[in-house]
Amino acid sequence: MERSETIVVIEKCLTEVLKHEVTGLREDLRLFDDLHLDSTSVLELLMVLEDTVGLEIDPENLDMDDFRTVGSLADFVERSLDGAS
Amino acid sequence: MEGSSSAAREDGRYLRRLKAACTGDADARLVFLCNFEAEEQWAVGHTGLPAPKFPVSAALVRRMEELGATLAGPRDVLLLSAPLDEDFRAHARTAGAALPEVLVPERAAGSASTAQAVLDSPHALAELTRLAAEGAWLMPMGTSPLEQRVAEVTGLRLAVPDSATFERVNSKIYGRRLAAEAGLREVPGDTCEQVGQLADALRSRYPAMAGGRPVVVKDAYGVSGKGLVVLESQEKAERLLRMVGRRAERTGGHRLEVVVEEWLPKRCDLNYQLTIDRDGRVEFDFVKEALTENGVHRGHLMPSQLGEGQVAELREAAAAIGKALYADGFAGIAGVDAVLGADGVLYPMLEINARLNMSTYQGGVTERALHPGHVALARHYALTLDAPCPLDRVLDALGPLADPGGDPAFGGARLVITCFGTLNALAGDSAGAPFTGRLYAVLFAPDRDLLAAADAAAEDALSRIASRGEPS
Repeated sequence: MERSETIVVIEKCLTEVLKHEVTGLREDLRLFDDLHLDSTSVLELLMVLEDTVGLEIDPENLDMDDFRTVGSLADFVERSLDGAS
Repeated sequence: MEGSSSAAREDGRYLRRLKAACTGDADARLVFLCNFEAEEQWAVGHTGLPAPKFPVSAALVRRMEELGATLAGPRDVLLLSAPLDEDFRAHARTAGAALPEVLVPERAAGSASTAQAVLDSPHALAELTRLAAEGAWLMPMGTSPLEQRVAEVTGLRLAVPDSATFERVNSKIYGRRLAAEAGLREVPGDTCEQVGQLADALRSRYPAMAGGRPVVVKDAYGVSGKGLVVLESQEKAERLLRMVGRRAERTGGHRLEVVVEEWLPKRCDLNYQLTIDRDGRVEFDFVKEALTENGVHRGHLMPSQLGEGQVAELREAAAAIGKALYADGFAGIAGVDAVLGADGVLYPMLEINARLNMSTYQGGVTERALHPGHVALARHYALTLDAPCPLDRVLDALGPLADPGGDPAFGGARLVITCFGTLNALAGDSAGAPFTGRLYAVLFAPDRDLLAAADAAAEDALSRIASRGEPS
């Protein structure tokens, strides 16, 4: 998946979780501080990501650093997809 | 500032009543330890919803301990992980707070909690041992194993029950069972202790979900929006079941402690408080309207606009809940969340929080500043900052609203800050990067319209600080 496609997938997932349109995300935006994700919405985001890109994610094995910014989340998704293929 | 303060020299009626109920002595000296993270300790060993292990804003939750400053009396002691800001002290005194003696354990820096910091700090332990010898009591928000250890090591008597009791009575599963046994009207739902039970509970509600009635799954030990997921569709419910099922297969553990409840269309959320004294007498303290957003607590409006009959129903529920809690070994303060449905039906027990609550800590300020017939809103304002923001900038921005005399533009409405430490709590973490802090406050006004206008003005004033950034 191209980087821009990964970002678009994340935008779609965040739109569903945050219940408002999320587009044009910059990679340095922080998920918790700027996009106001919280511990509840992280679980929802993971569930949506699973369905959208077919990843199987175990929340308990996540690293905080993967969820700091849009960019680090995109890295995480790409790495997970590479690992799964 | 001391000379111009209007601070009380004695405990107010509210605090004296709390002391009398919890210790048997209205003049007792309390050592407050406001451990807002208590639920996390009680949750240890209980499997809830899958969740990332990383803490979200733990440093901020910890600094909420400063909310104890406006409740505690002048002879009491407040344990804090950092000293109270001097300007905040002056501000709190103008609102009549007497302010307790503050004790900061010498090894607070870098510790995981204030109770742990106390246990690691020989000087603080020695001081608390001295206070214990003088008859002082430890008043945690709720007792977890750490606060219990502080009591054991120092000899301070606990003003509230032990850790095992708190853990037992604060499970949402326990709460639903208590409500059923007490014959209280329950929000339709189920308790689950196994993965299979969650699957049954969710699948039985798919027709209701398809009809537009979501369900919420809550951890037995979740708090304020943590460990909670709202499921609007069968698809989303199946996603959750897959995730939970996979974990069960991976770990070989099929235990799962959650409650499933229908998400009712509601007129408003409610929060009331009861106090159970050491002899089992139950007192109904107050009811407030709770402002929530997707299950996350946003604030309290007081007084509520309930009718007399509805308040009477809550009083009866409080009596039944208090009696049952006491029979199970609990005494002290408990907050109960309730719901007034859109159809006017009152559900008097959504959740029991058998511990001090946000509302409990607001009691001192509201007793002093809420005039008869007037209204109040307790909430926090979220500010995104680039650097630590001193209190005088906050007060400048708020202008007359933060003055003791109030703002004539809003009928004399007045804002009292109840916790300042949370505003800059995350500043150290981000090294120059923007961070979001919280300013806790109670806003007083003659009526709800003026209250709403003053709240909007405060929100606007504070947002301008946030966008301006730190002056060079």
